[in-house]
Amino acid sequence: MDDHVKLTCNRDIGELEQIVDSTERFFAKNSIGTDIRGTVDLAVEELFVNMVRYNKETNAQIEIEMYPEGNGIKVALTDHDVDRFDPTLHDDVDVNAPIEQRTPGGLGIFLVRKLVDSIDYDYRNRVSRITFIKYQEPR
Amino acid sequence: MFEIELIEVGLVALRGRLDAVQANDAERFLDGIDSEFVIDLSELEYISSAGLGVLLKTHKRLIPFSGGLKLIRVTSHINDIFKYSGFDKLFEIETS
Repeated sequence: MDDHVKLTCNRDIGELEQIVDSTERFFAKNSIGTDIRGTVDLAVEELFVNMVRYNKETNAQIEIEMYPEGNGIKVALTDHDVDRFDPTLHDDVDVNAPIEQRTPGGLGIFLVRKLVDSIDYDYRNRVSRITFIKYQEPR
Repeated sequence: MFEIELIEVGLVALRGRLDAVQANDAERFLDGIDSEFVIDLSELEYISSAGLGVLLKTHKRLIPFSGGLKLIRVTSHINDIFKYSGFDKLFEIETS
């Protein structure tokens, strides 16, 4: 049985509501523990919002695919007709910096990299695809 | 669902999901604060970098006047996000 789910989203952060609803249904259908829901929601939001806000040169819809992966989930976000932006090469945020030097910039991608178990980036023919995996903690 | 409520003078509660869609509402509300404030996060289920940015911006604005925001009744999931973000070094935080 193919438990793969594919969403096609407009370039609008208002789409987050339907993305969260779809993720919730995917977790329930595949009996994935809710202990990783917050991390998965955060990773999807940060990557999706980043695509919407920084890939302004296209009106193409963004595809989000979810797959069961071991005891967890694999999520792929695909953006068409865009420049390269590799989140795996993103500079770390200095979380020890004094408050006067702290800004919100870069925190989202930094958190994604910290919280997921793996993240991969593929870019070819102006199509950007980010895939991450999050497993449940062993019991 | 996201709610922000003034419980009493000096105390605000954030509830639900503070994501990129809701961050503007939270920012508008918190921009109206100009004195020492405590934020009750006991019913905050989710926060993304957009919400973190609103808290950081408000905290930095208030520090010269009042010492900034104090975050109380923080749940373990939200506290984990604060720790990864380094917010535990920037804010006074009380966990639930």
